[in-house]
Amino acid sequence: MSSSTKFLTLKTCDDKKFVLDEAIAVRSQTIKNMVEDDCVSNVIPLPNVNSKTMTKVIEYWKKHSEEGVSKDVLMDFDKAFVKVHHSILHALILAANFLNDKEILDMMCQEVADRIKGKTPEEIRKEFDIKNDFTPEEEEEIRKENAWAFE
Amino acid sequence: MPPERRKSGRQRLPIDRLSNLPKNVINSILMRLPLQDAVMTSILSKKWRYKWCRLPQLTLDDDLWEETHDLLSPSIKFTKIMYQILTLHSGPLTKFTLSISALRKYLKINSLIYFLSRNDIQDLVLKFSEWNRYRLPPSFFTCSQLRHLTLQNCVICPPPAFKGFDMLNSLNLCDVTISSKLLESLISYSPLLEKLVLKISDTSDHLQINAPNLRSFDFTGCIKYISLRSVPLLSKLSLPCQKSIEESEKCDFDKFFQLLSALEHLYLANGSDQFLVTGAAEVPRRLSSPLNYLKRFNITLWRLADFSIALCLIRSSPYIQDIEMEVYCSRDYLSEKLEASNEVDEVLASFSDVTLNHLRTVQLEGVEGIKLELQLIKLLLTKSPMLVKMLIDPSSGDNYDARRDKILAATTVQRASSKANVVVSDKYEYYRDTTP
Repeated sequence: MSSSTKFLTLKTCDDKKFVLDEAIAVRSQTIKNMVEDDCVSNVIPLPNVNSKTMTKVIEYWKKHSEEGVSKDVLMDFDKAFVKVHHSILHALILAANFLNDKEILDMMCQEVADRIKGKTPEEIRKEFDIKNDFTPEEEEEIRKENAWAFE
Repeated sequence: MPPERRKSGRQRLPIDRLSNLPKNVINSILMRLPLQDAVMTSILSKKWRYKWCRLPQLTLDDDLWEETHDLLSPSIKFTKIMYQILTLHSGPLTKFTLSISALRKYLKINSLIYFLSRNDIQDLVLKFSEWNRYRLPPSFFTCSQLRHLTLQNCVICPPPAFKGFDMLNSLNLCDVTISSKLLESLISYSPLLEKLVLKISDTSDHLQINAPNLRSFDFTGCIKYISLRSVPLLSKLSLPCQKSIEESEKCDFDKFFQLLSALEHLYLANGSDQFLVTGAAEVPRRLSSPLNYLKRFNITLWRLADFSIALCLIRSSPYIQDIEMEVYCSRDYLSEKLEASNEVDEVLASFSDVTLNHLRTVQLEGVEGIKLELQLIKLLLTKSPMLVKMLIDPSSGDNYDARRDKILAATTVQRASSKANVVVSDKYEYYRDTTP
C-alpha cells in the first residue's frame, strides 16, 4: 500500500515547503493537470500563495479526504472554516482560484455573498472598505435607473 | 479557535480587496445573490457600476416583484426589470431562469426570449403560471445552443421548419401543451439527449421514444401507451403512470424489458396498468432476457398481477441490490383473488434455482400479512446472503397486532445472512410504552 503513495512538495511564495500525499494534492485541478502532464519534477512552486493560506487549504483538503468522516462533521468544519477575517477570506479565494479548487472557491464565494446579502450599500462599503467615488448626482442617477432594486 | 489577532500600534489601512478580485470570482459571488442585491452593487463604486450587467447567469423569480411593502404593482415592476435587463445586459448570457407563478400578464417576455436567442443561451428555465400558459414565440425555436431546457405551463407550437435542438442534453417538460408527434420529433432530433422528464396529462396518446443516448427517463401523467423502442443506454426509468381514461393498448411485458437491457434503476407505480396485464398468468415467471444491470427497483402493488410482476422482476434480476415495495391492495381483495389462484404454493417452487447474491436492502410497506407476502419475506431472508437490512411496515387498520405478529413469525426463518438487521415497525410502539 505505502509503496504506491506518492508525495509532492509544494513551495509557497514565502519559500515554505509542504510535503503532501499526491492523492490529496490533486484536489487542486491546477496541480492535477501538472501531474497528468508530467511536468512535476521535484518541487511545485505556488507563486501566488503564501504559507499561512496554504496551511488553511491543506487543513481543508485533509479533513475532506479523511475516511469515514460524517457529513455533519464536515458541515460543522466548513462552517467554522469560512468564519474568518476578510483578509484571510480574500487570500483563500485567490489561492482557491489559482489552485483551481472549485469546492473551496464556491464555498468562499457563497460566504462573501452571504456577507453582502440584505445589507444596504453603505453597510457593504463599510464592511468591505469600498470607497464611494461617485458624486451625489451620479449616485442619484444610478438610484433612479435601478429604482426597483433600491425600494 | 478564533483567528489570531495581533495588537499593534499601527492603524490598519483600509484595503478594498473585494473590488479587485478576478472577474470570474466577482461573477461567482454576484450569481449567488438575489438579482436585487446584485443590481444594488452598481452603486458601491465606479468599479461596480456595470458588474451585474455582465453576469452570464440570471435568475428572475416571483420574489423579485412580490415584495409586500412595494407600492408598484407586480406587473409594472416586472416590466421595469425586463426593460433594464434588455437595455443594460452585455456579453454572453448562457443561463437564464424565469419563474412566474403570480403574474397574469406576460409583458416583454417575447423580447426577452428574442434577446436570449441572440446571446447563445445554453441553459433555460421558463416557468409560467398554471392559469395562463405562455405561447413560445418563434425566436425560442432559434436557440440552437440549448443544452438544458425546462418548460412549465407553456404552449409549444414551433414553425414548420423547426426540427429540434441538436445540442440538447436534458429536457424537462411539465404541464406543457404539445402534440405527441411534435414531442416525438423534438426528442428524436436531439441526438445528445441524456435526461428526459415529462409530466404531461393532455398528450394522452401514443408516445414512441427514440433517443440513442438517453440515460434517465421520468414520466408522470396520463398516456395510452409509451413505447421505448430505441433507448439502448437507458439506465434509470420511472413510470408512475396513471391509467388513461381511454382504453390503453396492450403492451407486452416481456418485450418491453427486452429493449431495456441497460436498466439500473426502475420505479414502477402502476405495472399491471402499464402493461395491461389482467391476470397473474399473463406475466412470465422470468423475463426472456435477464436484467443484468438492474440494481434497484421500487414497485407499487395495487393488484395481484403487480405481485406477479414484482416476483418476475426479482427472478430476472440476478444483481439486484435494493428492493422497495408498497402494497396498496386491500386484504379482502387479495384473499378473495388468492382463493382461486395457486400462486402462493408456486412461489417457493419457482424460486428454487434463484439466489439473490447481491441483495442488500429490502423495504416492504403496507404489508397485509397474507400468505403470499409472508412467503416472499421468508424467501428473501433465506435467499439473500448479503442482506444488511429488511424493513417491514405492516398496514394499519383492524387486527394490527395480529398482523404484526404473523409478520414477526415469518421473519424468524433461518436467514442466509448473519448480519441482516430485520425491523418490523410498530406504529403503536409509543402508545404501548406510555401506557402502564
